[in-house]
Amino acid sequence: MALTETRPDSPASSASEHIEPGTVEGLLGTGDHKTIGRLFIGAGVVGLVGGLVMGVVAAVYAGNFDDLAPDAIDYLPQVWSLSRDLVMFGGLVPILLGLGIYLIPLQIGAPSLAFARGASGALWTWLLGTALLVLATVFNGGPGGGRRDFVVLWAAALAMMVGAAAWALVCIAATILGARTQGMSLDKAPLTTWSYLVFALVGLFSLPIVMAELLMAFLRIRYFHLPITESTQLTAVGDGFSLAPSIYWLGIPILGMAADIVGVHSERPVQMHKAVMGAIGLFGVLTFGSDVVGLASLRGVDFDNGFLVVGLAAAVLPVLGTLGLVGESIRLGVLVPRVPLVGALASGLLLLLATVVSLLGLVKPVMGFLDELFPDAIDMTNTLILNGTRFHEGIRALVVGAAVVALVGALHHWAPKIWGRRLGEPLGYVAVLAAAGGSVIWAIGEIAAGFDDQPWLPARPTEDFAAGLGALSLAGAAILAVGGLALLGNLAVSFLGTKPAGSSPNAWSGTTLEWATTSPPAAGNFPAPPIVRSPTPLADGELQYALIGGGEADEPDADPDDATPELEG
Amino acid sequence: MTTTDITPYDFIPDDVAPAGPARPKLLLLATSLASAAVAMGFLGLIGHYVAERAAVVQTGGRWLPEGVEIPLTQPNFMGVSVAFSVITIWWAVAAVRNDDRSHALQAYGISILFAVAYIAQTAYLFTIMQIEINADERSALLYGIIGTHLVLMIVAIGFVLVVGLRTLAGEYSSRDYDGVNSAALFWTVVAALYGVMWYAIYITK
Repeated sequence: MALTETRPDSPASSASEHIEPGTVEGLLGTGDHKTIGRLFIGAGVVGLVGGLVMGVVAAVYAGNFDDLAPDAIDYLPQVWSLSRDLVMFGGLVPILLGLGIYLIPLQIGAPSLAFARGASGALWTWLLGTALLVLATVFNGGPGGGRRDFVVLWAAALAMMVGAAAWALVCIAATILGARTQGMSLDKAPLTTWSYLVFALVGLFSLPIVMAELLMAFLRIRYFHLPITESTQLTAVGDGFSLAPSIYWLGIPILGMAADIVGVHSERPVQMHKAVMGAIGLFGVLTFGSDVVGLASLRGVDFDNGFLVVGLAAAVLPVLGTLGLVGESIRLGVLVPRVPLVGALASGLLLLLATVVSLLGLVKPVMGFLDELFPDAIDMTNTLILNGTRFHEGIRALVVGAAVVALVGALHHWAPKIWGRRLGEPLGYVAVLAAAGGSVIWAIGEIAAGFDDQPWLPARPTEDFAAGLGALSLAGAAILAVGGLALLGNLAVSFLGTKPAGSSPNAWSGTTLEWATTSPPAAGNFPAPPIVRSPTPLADGELQYALIGGGEADEPDADPDDATPELEG
Repeated sequence: MTTTDITPYDFIPDDVAPAGPARPKLLLLATSLASAAVAMGFLGLIGHYVAERAAVVQTGGRWLPEGVEIPLTQPNFMGVSVAFSVITIWWAVAAVRNDDRSHALQAYGISILFAVAYIAQTAYLFTIMQIEINADERSALLYGIIGTHLVLMIVAIGFVLVVGLRTLAGEYSSRDYDGVNSAALFWTVVAALYGVMWYAIYITK
């Protein structure tokens, strides 16, 4: 048939026919923020469990248990780095990103994520980087590795993971700033959304610095031919994001999610909305400010002590303030102890514990600050000095535990919205208790080791460490890993066996916009752009819909068995 | 009712505030955020360089390897090229805002020409500096920072090429010049970062 001929009418040639992409094409080419978010969450949970299990192996190696792994201490920097990087950028950060990519457009009443295909690119870049990171370490690369090419590959892979996270944060922040629905000024944004904005901005200002460090590491190894025996120095590259106060960055969305979850499950939304926003914002500022001076501290710069003291000490206040304001909902609300509520509270308390305990790390900066002021008046020889010891690993354990517990609670809370089904409560309690208990036990072992002057990596702990504190750390890391495995198992069991929750829009009587649409939401998220006048439009009966394009916009489907506050008015 | 009608439900209360002013466009927002992140990363590199240099100088050592000199003529001309390109890229924005596509395309072309001149001058500077990338840690730092800025400039050229082609296709006009604005913003940030690099590396040596 010549091209000028008219094709016969047939269903196959109809211009209106829509060919559904196959599964693989659909996943690779998706621009749906919900699919991208689910993939980030699923892969992130697998990465988190992998990292926690590697943490157990690292604890075995650090404990120098010869009967378990002879000569394993030689591989400690590699195993520990893989664990740290997988937990942070292979697990916690991608799960947080996945939740943000899925939920933020729903919470702000947007039909989609800004630059959804950019977020998709970030997802695949992150996945590739994670795979390369594991490969590089397996082939004797990474910090402490002996094969130059694979040490270089480690730096490139970690840079890919960090860069992908930064790009996903650009998408999330742009969505929050530019795609909120009518009536939702920034001060009326849900607390989770607000905390993600702070999380994104702090991340965008600090992750590129980590990338710069990785570029320098790459150049040193690849071109300057740093002696490969010195590759253990690369453990310090990750210190920029894994030591207190930098690691508090993870706590920013934890606070926002905890506030939202407590408000829903106590049936009393947080009343002092703007005050909580202020506390979360302050926490973000302190995290970033102390992050910068923390890096300077690692480099031995002298001027930082005063800033570091203020930053570390002040970080306690916003966490305490947020928990105090949220506590009002618990005191006056109807307390229903479900996994999300228990997880939110436990994560907040763990974060508070981390910030309080890290004050012990101030001893050295405080003494340094005083020493700067009065150089001849203070003798530091007998001063308790915890910096440079395993004390830091204890703080990391508490923050990682807080993040894991928070994510268990958050996934239980939003599972009906994300997957249209609930997660099992018994396994949820196991995950929360194991993660919280494990992190505390692990932290006790490491903090006590710090007081015992056990050195920080890449230096090896002494033989004494194995006898007592090393075993305690190992037990804690193992229990925490059980928590991660319980989460993974719960997701798997729920998908295989639990009856779907259907399209019930509001599983928990939630008060923010994501609960005003079907579960999971259809394409476009909302039947029409919602109009809001308060941070909790479903609780206040303030939600309205604009009518667009001539057709009447229906309100979201409501399950008569599942009361929705917006219908009750 | 046509598809252009937008009518609220009758039960929307009268006291609902009217819609606020249009929020900044998404592309411009995302470009601003990405530009800030890029600037932080680049400034992190510069900070690394300055700290390393200060440590060497404090101990009485020589920062640049023996026999290596960085002339100022090329860096100055590179700065002039970059500065002029900032003027021309904003000329492009102004032209698009005035629906003057012809001048916009000229402005894009001249901006890219300045950027190519910058790249050529950098390549020439590398040849006359006669410093090997693997000579020592300092040379790796030098190449890392200058090379990163070259990559940023190439990304900026790509951005301008894309919006230039879209302008040619009629996508951008006085009604919508978000993409052009975004490209110009990123270009300006890259140019500003050259200013920092010019002082930190070429002037202080």
